[in-house]
Amino acid sequence: MMRLGWWLIRAQFLARRGATALSMLAIALGVALGYAIHLINDAALADFSRAMKAVQGEPDVVIAARDGAGHVPLALIDLLSRDEAVAVLAPVIETRVRIGDTPMLVRLIGLDPFSAAQLMPMLLPDQANDAMGRLLDGAVFASPALAAKVGADTTVIRGAARWQTHIGGELPAAPAGERLLVADIAWVQAHFGPREGVGEIRIRLHPETPLAAWRASWAPKLPAGIELRAAADNQARVSNISRAYRVNLNVLAMVALLTGAFLVFATQLTAVAQRSTQFALLGVLGLPPRQRLLQVLVEGLAIGVPGSAGGLLLGFGLATGFTRVLGGDLGGGFFSAASPEIDAQTLPAAGFFALGCLASLLGALYPAWLNRIQPLAQALKTGFAQRQRPGAGHALGRDLLLILVLTVGALALTRVPAIADLPLGGYAAITLLLILGIVSAPLATRALFGALARAWLPAPQKIAVQNILQAPLMAQVAASGLIVSFALTVSMVTMVSSFRTALDQWLDAVLPAPFYMRSKAVPLPAELLADLARPDSPFLRVERMAASSFSLDPQRPAVALLVREIDRRQPGARLPFSGAVIDVAPTEIPVWVSEAMQEVHGIAVGQQLRLPLLGRDVEVTVGGIWRDYARQFGAVVMSADDYLALGGHFEATDLALWPRPGQEAVAQSWLRGEAQRLGVEAAASGEIRELSLSIFDKSFAITHALEAAAMLIGLFGLAVTLAASIWLRARELATLAALGFDRAMLGRAVVLEGAMIAGIGLLLGLACGIGVGAILTEVVNPQAFHWRMPLRVPWTQVLPVAGLTLLAAMLASGIAARQATRMPAARILAGAQ
Amino acid sequence: MLSVTGLGKRHPGAARPLFSELRFAVGAGEVVALVGESGVGKSTLLNCIAGLEPADTGTVLVGPDAADMARLDEAAAAALRARRIGFVFQAFHVLPTLNVAQNIAVPLLLNGIDAAEHPARIEELLARVGLAGFGSRWPASLSGGELQRVAIARALVHRPSLILADEPTGNLDPRTADEVLSLLLERVRASHAGALIVTHSQHVAQACDRILALTPEGLR
Ligand SMILES: Nc1ncnc2c1ncn2[C@@H]1O[C@H](COP(=O)(O)OP(=O)(O)O)[C@@H](O)[C@H]1O
Ligand SMILES: [Mg+2]
Repeated sequence: MMRLGWWLIRAQFLARRGATALSMLAIALGVALGYAIHLINDAALADFSRAMKAVQGEPDVVIAARDGAGHVPLALIDLLSRDEAVAVLAPVIETRVRIGDTPMLVRLIGLDPFSAAQLMPMLLPDQANDAMGRLLDGAVFASPALAAKVGADTTVIRGAARWQTHIGGELPAAPAGERLLVADIAWVQAHFGPREGVGEIRIRLHPETPLAAWRASWAPKLPAGIELRAAADNQARVSNISRAYRVNLNVLAMVALLTGAFLVFATQLTAVAQRSTQFALLGVLGLPPRQRLLQVLVEGLAIGVPGSAGGLLLGFGLATGFTRVLGGDLGGGFFSAASPEIDAQTLPAAGFFALGCLASLLGALYPAWLNRIQPLAQALKTGFAQRQRPGAGHALGRDLLLILVLTVGALALTRVPAIADLPLGGYAAITLLLILGIVSAPLATRALFGALARAWLPAPQKIAVQNILQAPLMAQVAASGLIVSFALTVSMVTMVSSFRTALDQWLDAVLPAPFYMRSKAVPLPAELLADLARPDSPFLRVERMAASSFSLDPQRPAVALLVREIDRRQPGARLPFSGAVIDVAPTEIPVWVSEAMQEVHGIAVGQQLRLPLLGRDVEVTVGGIWRDYARQFGAVVMSADDYLALGGHFEATDLALWPRPGQEAVAQSWLRGEAQRLGVEAAASGEIRELSLSIFDKSFAITHALEAAAMLIGLFGLAVTLAASIWLRARELATLAALGFDRAMLGRAVVLEGAMIAGIGLLLGLACGIGVGAILTEVVNPQAFHWRMPLRVPWTQVLPVAGLTLLAAMLASGIAARQATRMPAARILAGAQ
Repeated sequence: MLSVTGLGKRHPGAARPLFSELRFAVGAGEVVALVGESGVGKSTLLNCIAGLEPADTGTVLVGPDAADMARLDEAAAAALRARRIGFVFQAFHVLPTLNVAQNIAVPLLLNGIDAAEHPARIEELLARVGLAGFGSRWPASLSGGELQRVAIARALVHRPSLILADEPTGNLDPRTADEVLSLLLERVRASHAGALIVTHSQHVAQACDRILALTPEGLR
């Protein structure tokens, strides 16, 4: 029996090399994509947490200010040190500083050498040569990457504060790529603050202490503005950063796998149809019915197994190549540029292998079942029995009901909020919508071409129309493939184009000034600001902003705090609001939050919020919600006046600059020089705009490849199924030939049939595609990435693709027809195959 | 080898039964011709005997162990066919993707017969049907007469108890038809199987041991 099965598989693969190879390739691509994403992300996360462990040690708990400007008060440290459960308590102050006049921004970590020795030994110098003594005496130690670049004496600068010190030596165990300075905490505190406390406390508990209970007992005792993070929170936070992006890529991998399943389906369906007499014969000779089912499933597996195996190899290769070239951030910009080691893990590999095989089995399932239920005697006599549709009236009611149910279901699913931060409802709605498209194909066919059947038509056209109206299985499969592939293409084009248009408009709104200067979260030097303020500076106007961050939820990425020089009565002049802006009472503090805040934390206009700022809970009122494509995890804007009034220090990190009229060139070159000297970024708004759009185009370039692949697969499905349906009707066509149809007329009939199937497929695909595009922009993007954008269908891109596909479909039908009519009619009619 | 009693069949939707209360038997080594007008139900009768279509009433006992085909489910009927029945069709039905030897090996595979025995049995049969050395040829390169000889070899290779042939010479020219038929009769008789051969040819019917005529009123 195995032998017979093997003979049949071999014969099948030899007879249909192209279809088999393409199905394998699709499965391989799906597996490769999924596996590569997993490997890259896993390696990047491992790399990231290794680096984090090196810097942070492995504390059980971190107690930290939620806000960069806040601090952990000394009183709390005192209280904690008296807790019996605390084994090690390491205070830390971490800040970003500039080194001398070099264009270098580095991390400065102030620690207590004694507690650090137990918790963060990798951040300490060698014990030799009294390094510890020098550390305590005020020397700073540099990581290897930094030590090579700085001299013995150095100035550490943050904003207006300067610390003249010297390099005491290297930190041999510090993470290799990291630019890091370590100093004694007292010295750091003396020069850069905070005066009354420390940045955070890292705690190791006695091993027998139950973490949850300890945490619960301390939570109420913590002052406002202080949060307690367990080690697991940190991991969740790191993983949350790129989660939505990863899931989206995984959904793409699933789509690739499903197209693989579709190709297996089309291939196996036609294979079953073409071999129905052979299988019927085998059944008559005594092949058990179960074996007829199994044979087709095994043939599917025979596509899936090599496809999946190839996919694993390809995925590993992809992951390795990708991290070598681009680092571990999957193009999402979430992880540092270090390129992590890829490790082919057995369990995930087995998992993705199984997924690929499952997809191929899934594709073979229906064909296998059809093969199982073919009535033997009849199949032997007349070949493959395509199920005839039951009476049209009955089917119409059933179809309409199904369409209604699917529509309502899809609409309802778009209303479902994100589940675990993932747009699962949106994905499900997209699935339903695609099914809806497939289900409506027979109805749409009747609606569109029903009238044609009653009209007078030349014979070839008449035959084509009649055949289409009977909605044979093959035509439905061909149309389904096109519906889905064109819908995916249209939706991607729509989503990308909507996003790009919105980004373009947003850039206009957020870049009002001609020039910008930015120093990533490190205050700009006071001299620079003083220079800019002088009457002879080439700038007419400078608007300052201080960017920092605070934590609203220990498990989520931090929220950006943007303190800006902004007119609180006219925030709309600077922020692109997406809804109403309200006037906030003069006694209250207005903040303007980004759409991500609205999405993630459910914040609404007019709402009162308590933000953990400056070491306490500050009561603010939401004055409006603005669009922000730059900070995915949320941003809060507060006016500098309000921040100062709250007692904060306003130290500018970002500048918007308007040059004096006529001095643009001078201003630009001055800015360039300063930026180079200070190691900060300066650019004209046009450059930022261009760069942003080109980054956007680059990161979405992959979608064009996907669109092309989708269309090719759809067309391939059409060609395969059309060829099979002609083959199945070879006798009918031969009869027609005997009745006086010439080859050209037969060809015309088949091409028209292909065109009609493609027309239906494209039309429904277009409708579904716009729907899916709308779900992507209105549901998936806001829920996954917290980005909103108005829907815009790029007709100038969609319509040409549709036209080209229609032409290609007609071409494919023409080829299929030529092949089918090549067989001499007499031979077909004689029944010899 | 075959014993039919009380067999009745009506196609769903048909006004009257095709046949009812049929009763006949075919002994070992006996070759019986089944004649009758087109559409009278000969093929349907063969299908019912082989378990390819369900009969409405009656029993169909096949082979030395007299299993009742009419009582078996699909899988058991397939197993019984594989073991006890050989088929020859009007349209040859030789698998185009298998070569001649592989085609003949199919019943051996279905019966789980040791692969080591296959070559000898196939070679011997090929020689007997006049196709010595054809084992590695592909069906597409064979004539109609040669294809039907392959089909005959395939019907006999697993030593069935009953051969069912539905117009086995219908697609052949008269001379080839004669050759193939005498070969079939000779091989069936030599194998001691019973055979039921549907035919329109008076000539063929005369060559058989016995003639059954199916009419709308029953067997004559
Ligand atoms: N599956 C079926 N459903 C309904 N009627 C059938 C079916 N198969 C055959 N028939 C009818 O049964 C009758 C006998 O057919 P068949 O056994 O093929 O005749 P014969 O082989 O004697 O020419 C014919 O009238 C045919 O129309
Ligand atoms: Mg017949």
